[in-house]
Amino acid sequence: MSDDGRSLLSVRKLSKRFGGLLALSSVDFDVNEGDVFGIIGPNGAGKTTLFSCLVGAQRPSSGEVRFRGERIDRLPNPAVVKRGLVRTHQIVRPFRAMSVAENVAVAAYFGAGRRRGAEAERRVRDILERTGLAGEAGASAATLSIGQLKRLEIARALATEPRVICLDEVMGGLNPAEIVGAMALIRAIRDAGVTVLMIEHHVHAVVGVSNRILVLNFGERIAEGTPQEVLRNPAVIAAYLGGEEQVVED
Amino acid sequence: MTLLALFALTAPLFLERGALNDLWNLAFAVILASAWNLLGGFAGQVSLGYSAFLGIGAYTTVLLSLQNVDPFLTLPLGALLAAIFSVVIGLPAFRLRGPYFTIATIGVGEAVRVWASTVEFTGGSSGLRMPAESFHFNANYFAMIGLAVVTVAIAAWVKRSAFGIALDAIKQDIDAAEAVGINSTRFKLGAHALSAALVAIAGGLYAINFQYISPASVFDFRLSLSIVLMPIIGGLGTIAGPIFGALIVSTLQIKLLAIPALRDSFLFVYGGLLIVVMLFEPQGFVGVGRRLGRLAHVR
Repeated sequence: MSDDGRSLLSVRKLSKRFGGLLALSSVDFDVNEGDVFGIIGPNGAGKTTLFSCLVGAQRPSSGEVRFRGERIDRLPNPAVVKRGLVRTHQIVRPFRAMSVAENVAVAAYFGAGRRRGAEAERRVRDILERTGLAGEAGASAATLSIGQLKRLEIARALATEPRVICLDEVMGGLNPAEIVGAMALIRAIRDAGVTVLMIEHHVHAVVGVSNRILVLNFGERIAEGTPQEVLRNPAVIAAYLGGEEQVVED
Repeated sequence: MTLLALFALTAPLFLERGALNDLWNLAFAVILASAWNLLGGFAGQVSLGYSAFLGIGAYTTVLLSLQNVDPFLTLPLGALLAAIFSVVIGLPAFRLRGPYFTIATIGVGEAVRVWASTVEFTGGSSGLRMPAESFHFNANYFAMIGLAVVTVAIAAWVKRSAFGIALDAIKQDIDAAEAVGINSTRFKLGAHALSAALVAIAGGLYAINFQYISPASVFDFRLSLSIVLMPIIGGLGTIAGPIFGALIVSTLQIKLLAIPALRDSFLFVYGGLLIVVMLFEPQGFVGVGRRLGRLAHVR
């Protein structure tokens, strides 16, 4: 919980209430520049709600979100994107009547970079290359497979030129080979200087790429630390991995 | 399209007044349909309150002309007032989505009509007459044709611009659009204001041409309805669609009005057309054209 100036994103006492349901309950954490910060937890733990509150798609009921020192928890989603914090959608939301390249171009136009003309085109080509979608550039987004759609979500988010990208289950529905590819992509994103937050159900994948992990259960933070610390935490084992005898170690 | 515009601009040299009147009507319809399409077709925000903007333009022109202002000089002010009004109602209304937005716009349009019928300075429900000698058919004709050309040109420019791309993203998935940095409210307000201003100028020219307006003529809900029908029948969100729609609807209206037994039935015909379009070709006549084009290509 240190404010040593390295903290890029700091979340304090963040809560979100939907009527009688407390989806997030006073959650605290810090993300540092260069992190791959994993967020795990059972279904309904509040992970996606957390992302929605970070980017301003939903307004937190209480608490604080600071991005590069600035309060952003009252800003609307587009304003947060323009400051360099973006998320992908767990349930993919492509612009179906546009081509793959057009989907990415929209983000290049209106994201933090506000690119136009040849500069936008160059960025779109570069990002399609990096996300393995160059072959599909002209294809309609409506024709893509789920694996390609997940990559399109990432490509579009990257095209906004974020400092921090929040990936919401980008490995859901992928086959093992595609998961390996997705892990490599996430490392490449970090190596390109973008800090990564990722919600993921594939524990192996999260452990494989994250340097820190936050565990949520029923909207509360039950653990945070390095992957090894988190996986040995009894509360995590009880709540998430479902039994004390079974610990994932590989 | 260019040919159509050239034809309309040279028509006074060889056409008689009746035919020119039909062309004037067509240009009026093209403006309303193409301007509405900026918000309704490009951004997918279906408003049924556009008679409000037409009426604001018409009343601005008549009220100022009665104060001895040159009628044509009143047009920019009408456009400005309509644009401001569009922002005032857009700010709350654009918080609503889909059919809820549409219902709100019906309420606004009707509220404006009722209000204009009850206050004194609009002449109440008996309406207002333009000052005598303010009518020059040729000037009005060229202004209307010119505005139609400008409106279509603006629509074509918007469609290709970053502004149009943002509207398209908003239409397809407003949350995804916001998630990549598009301030949807700002773009919707922009499209609303631009289309409102164009419709208001057409409303001013309408007042100059007909010399008499009343809430029942310029704030009519059926007018709002036919504004929406034209782009839908022609092809939503396209450039040519609203022009086709305007051509079909204004021709039908003229023909039907000429047959006494059918005078009141044009709404029935619109309804029928709308159902046919929805059922068989949601992209309107432009969609039919594309299909025929593909068929020809295959052969």
